Amino acid sequence: MDKYDFIVIGAGSAGLPAAVYAARFRLKTLVIGELIGGTIVNTHIVENWPGEKAITGWDLGEKLQDHVKANDVKIVNDKVVDVSKKSKLGFVVKTSDRKEYEAKTILFATGTTRRKLNVPGEKEFENKGVSYCAVCDAALFKGKIVAVIGGSDSAAKEALLLSEYAKKVYIIYRGEKIRPEPINGERVVQKANIELMLKKNVLEIFGEKFVTGIKFKEGGQLKLDGVFIEIGALPNSELAEKIGVKVDEKKEILIDVESKTNVQGVYAAGDVVNRHFKQAITGASEGVIAAFSAYEFINNNSAMDQH
Amino acid sequence: MGKVTIYTTPTCTYCKLAKAYFKENNVEYKEINVAADQSKAQEMFEKSGQLGVPVLEINGKIIVGFDKPALKEALGL
Repeated sequence: MDKYDFIVIGAGSAGLPAAVYAARFRLKTLVIGELIGGTIVNTHIVENWPGEKAITGWDLGEKLQDHVKANDVKIVNDKVVDVSKKSKLGFVVKTSDRKEYEAKTILFATGTTRRKLNVPGEKEFENKGVSYCAVCDAALFKGKIVAVIGGSDSAAKEALLLSEYAKKVYIIYRGEKIRPEPINGERVVQKANIELMLKKNVLEIFGEKFVTGIKFKEGGQLKLDGVFIEIGALPNSELAEKIGVKVDEKKEILIDVESKTNVQGVYAAGDVVNRHFKQAITGASEGVIAAFSAYEFINNNSAMDQH
Repeated sequence: MGKVTIYTTPTCTYCKLAKAYFKENNVEYKEINVAADQSKAQEMFEKSGQLGVPVLEINGKIIVGFDKPALKEALGL
């Protein structure tokens, strides 16, 4: 079994920078991720990554990846299906390709899974008008009427992208006020073809071959060609929980200021942790701090080399 | 290996991943950018019943999304 000092689970903007630092600390490092580049690759344009005034999420993901490879760290495109503690120190990581790796320390930079609306019609019309990827599908809705469900900054950004193609974009949100970054909020207001519908809950998505509209819980319906669902995400923390890592009521992993979890040798960073402000840059920060913590931990536990 | 067509939009992440997968496995493919050509978009909607990209056509078989196991099987890799 291949043995590593530091295995990073997740190849996004938290895990990849962590791997760069770990390599420079001369930790034998491996990155395992399902989506190389992470969630950011589904963002159209990123305007708040220092040093990049405007870059596509895809290009940023590629740059992060290239930076890791330039430090001779291997990135494996695979899904981790199990993490277990060894009898003494260290962990065993298993993947869906049936590979096993051994690690002295682990970083969970596992990100999140998109939350679903869980209303009738959502599943039936997925890819038939219901989409979770505006950056992928926006161009298919030229001249059409679409809605973005959600009130976050991501929802506002999706609406802005869609407004470049669609005739009309509704932002439908159950709250009283959407909460984008103020700069994106201003852009939404300036767009003549974006309309806010607040305090509205989607009851059902309906259509024939493709989506034709939605019904509201509050009554009434809206004619639509596309529904883009952007209502947040759920932390991918099950594997961490299995080895005793503590999570909060939202299932986000609890970390301290050194990115340590409650389990020795286990760290977490990025969208999966219990930080309120979740950004690519804050995830990167938590990740590189984790790499440093792992480096110190390994240095202080040189007896681990005997295993 | 046969005939491979991929319907894409220029910004679509999973289209890029699918194309990278083809390159990695030396699979020749034809790319159709449906954002640039509405008639091709219509062709894709009709062929696949799908309103999302990527749509892949491998020897007449339609695959939606970047579904690696399905691609592997369809390509006989």
